[in-house]
Amino acid sequence: MSANLPTIEISELYHAYKRQQAVRGVSFTVENGAIHGFVGPNGAGKTTTLKILATLLRPQRGSVRVFGLDVVADYKNVRRKIGFMPDHFSLYRQMTVQEYLDFFAAAYGMNLLERTRVVGDVLALTDMEGRRNDLIKGLSRGMQQRVGLARVLVHDPTLLLLDEPASGLDPRARIELMDILRELQRMGKTIFISSHILSELAQLCDSVTILDRGLVRYSGSMSGLNQSDSETADYLLTLAEEQPVIEAALRKVGGVIEVTKPAKAPQYRINFHRKETDPNLLLRAALDNGAQVLGFQEMVRHLNQAFMDLTEPGVPPVMQAPVESALPSNPGGAE
Amino acid sequence: MKLPALALFERSLRLETRSMLMCAARIGLLLLMLLMLLPIQSMARMGAFGAPGLNFFREMIWVNLVFITLAGLSYFASAITEEKEEMMLGLLRMTELNPIAILLGKSTSRLVGALLLLLVQVPFVLLAVTLGGVGLLQIAAAYGTLLAYLFLACNLALLFSVVFRNTATAAGFTLTFLLLFLIGHYWAADIEQNLVSSGEINPRRGIWIFFSKIIDVWREASPSDRLGNIFQTGFAGRAIGFQVISNLVLGIFFFFLAWLVFDPCTREEKESAPRQWFLRRRATRRSRIPPRLVGIRAISWKDFTFVSGGKLGLLVKFGVIALVMGICNLIAMEFGDSADFTQEFEGVSLIWISLATTAVFLALDAARIFREEIRWKTLSSLATLPISIPELAYRKVVGTLAGTLPLLACFFLGVLLVPKDVGDFFNNVFSESYSFGFFVISILQFILFLHLTAFLSLIIKRGALALAVAIQYLGGSFFMMFLGLLFSLAGSSGPGVALFFTGTICVVMIVILHCAIGWRLARAAAEEG
Repeated sequence: MSANLPTIEISELYHAYKRQQAVRGVSFTVENGAIHGFVGPNGAGKTTTLKILATLLRPQRGSVRVFGLDVVADYKNVRRKIGFMPDHFSLYRQMTVQEYLDFFAAAYGMNLLERTRVVGDVLALTDMEGRRNDLIKGLSRGMQQRVGLARVLVHDPTLLLLDEPASGLDPRARIELMDILRELQRMGKTIFISSHILSELAQLCDSVTILDRGLVRYSGSMSGLNQSDSETADYLLTLAEEQPVIEAALRKVGGVIEVTKPAKAPQYRINFHRKETDPNLLLRAALDNGAQVLGFQEMVRHLNQAFMDLTEPGVPPVMQAPVESALPSNPGGAE
Repeated sequence: MKLPALALFERSLRLETRSMLMCAARIGLLLLMLLMLLPIQSMARMGAFGAPGLNFFREMIWVNLVFITLAGLSYFASAITEEKEEMMLGLLRMTELNPIAILLGKSTSRLVGALLLLLVQVPFVLLAVTLGGVGLLQIAAAYGTLLAYLFLACNLALLFSVVFRNTATAAGFTLTFLLLFLIGHYWAADIEQNLVSSGEINPRRGIWIFFSKIIDVWREASPSDRLGNIFQTGFAGRAIGFQVISNLVLGIFFFFLAWLVFDPCTREEKESAPRQWFLRRRATRRSRIPPRLVGIRAISWKDFTFVSGGKLGLLVKFGVIALVMGICNLIAMEFGDSADFTQEFEGVSLIWISLATTAVFLALDAARIFREEIRWKTLSSLATLPISIPELAYRKVVGTLAGTLPLLACFFLGVLLVPKDVGDFFNNVFSESYSFGFFVISILQFILFLHLTAFLSLIIKRGALALAVAIQYLGGSFFMMFLGLLFSLAGSSGPGVALFFTGTICVVMIVILHCAIGWRLARAAAEEG
């Protein structure tokens, strides 16, 4: 496997169910060792894309490659490298936890020695050692989710495809799941995670793809998403009290596009061309006009806001979203 | 409709009306009936049948009776258990729906669907009158019998569906009771007759009067006896007899019993799991996976253990054969003499019992092998293993077939007991081309039936086995009639060409269904969620 090859490479992917177009020309890449968030409203095409990546569905058009392998032509090798956790509990409830994991380890071709080691390892990683002899049907949802995750890990896949892994879990189970995912990233795994819990994804992910009505609205690094536009910047100036003269002074600074007052509080939102001016000049202009400055900071767009902006019903379809390289926060963990 | 008690019932009826599958089933049934009428009419003109109308009518009614019985154990017995298994009954109980509303909505709506399936046949079955051998009164009486029996079967299955936690148990009890109701009176009457002839009891004295009366009532209430009377030439009974009234009364009784026990039986909701056939249930246990099990053989192990029942299942199957053999010997002891207990008797009985049991277990396994994965949403996990869908399916089949080993062992034991008889049988089969043809076609038909059951289990939620029986029987009957007509018209000299043609069609259909199962499995894995 080449270290430069992206883990996931999707190009012009199309898939329709009868007359319903689920994905329409989706293209994006996911780098090695990244935790990549995959978000979008219901019906955006996330699960379809995930199922195609998991080799359960065949793409009708376009190319989907995992570690450089085609998901249709080379599906068996792709399956050896991926671990897919669907959005429902896919568990044999009549088995014990150990039996379930042992069964999948055996099905992946491991001998008894390997199975014993691997099952022990994944049980330790998912903190399920104490429940190994329990019947799955008697476990709580959170525990069943851990068993599902442990199953995905038994054959030591390099890429984890997780569809809504935190849905229906209580806050503690969610936090613990996120910790496990971070640990897995440290172990060098690439994690592709679809979720509706944006706040957690924002903390967890290095990169994100936002999908809406079968189209990619954004795909790239989280830091790239935080900037509404790389050419311009938004800064928020907070004063101790209202000073109308400041607004006029800010407008006069070269490169400033717009100064608006976002709230009743003494605050100004300054939008300017990055190349034409410097934030320090803006601060200097305010201070020179006698402003008592309480705060001056760049307005970053969080995932929640970006999601709302990019998936608004009125937003016209964007056929090709900006696709940037998303480098993992822990490059050492990459293969 | 404003009544809250009918809200769920109304909704179910609406869904049923919109269901393309139900419409297709009705249209398919009618088309098949029309197609069956064509060869019958043509053959009647050629003088092949004495009473073609009666033959057609009798065939339709028996098929319906079997179909209702099978529907009872699959379609009706799951009415409430499916909600329990999906843990949805608690939600239903939290709404304003009272037990009556839930029972009506979940069961009676299904009854209406089945009633419609019966009633749409009537105008076409009336055509049998024009073919001769059957009168309007017989048709009215026969459909009255079937409708009343359907009402009884539906409500009996509903009662078991309320009482038991899973569909398999409810279906098992429904089948046992319906079979007893249909044919139990014949056995009871035989035993009574035997005891009377041996002088052990006097039916006109003491408690035996009561038992004798019960057997009479049982016989009169049973649709099998009633239909036997209706099919007799010159039937002049009433259209609505004791059987109809008793079946309706029993049906109402079972419905109210289901209503009475609904609350106590559905108060607790527990997470359900796939049924562990013959497996010991323990909260904690060690892994049962054999240490040397590696690779895709693990899938066979899983199906051997969880579909076929594992090692304990093997013992249970030996037990079933031993039990049936024991019953055969008891019957022989009761009705025969000691000269009957020969090695030949035991050997032949063992061969037939093991073959019949194998057929039953294989049919049950065919209905469960893929359905269970879909039902418990585990197919996607298996489908992402590094194997193809056909490999996955074959491995599952191997595991299930391993569960029939004790039955095959019994068969070979039977062969060892009567090697000469078996040798003679195969000599006969191989010496005549027609016998060989019939032998091969019988095997092909069974393989086709298993494929059909497995395929139907992938596209319908319940009743795959019942539907497969009905399709195979009706389709087979039609095909044989059509083929007979075709070759009669063509002036063919013997059944050789017909057998070859039938065999070819069977093979083609097996291949089509075989591929369709693979295609449908892949689709089901992708649709899961």
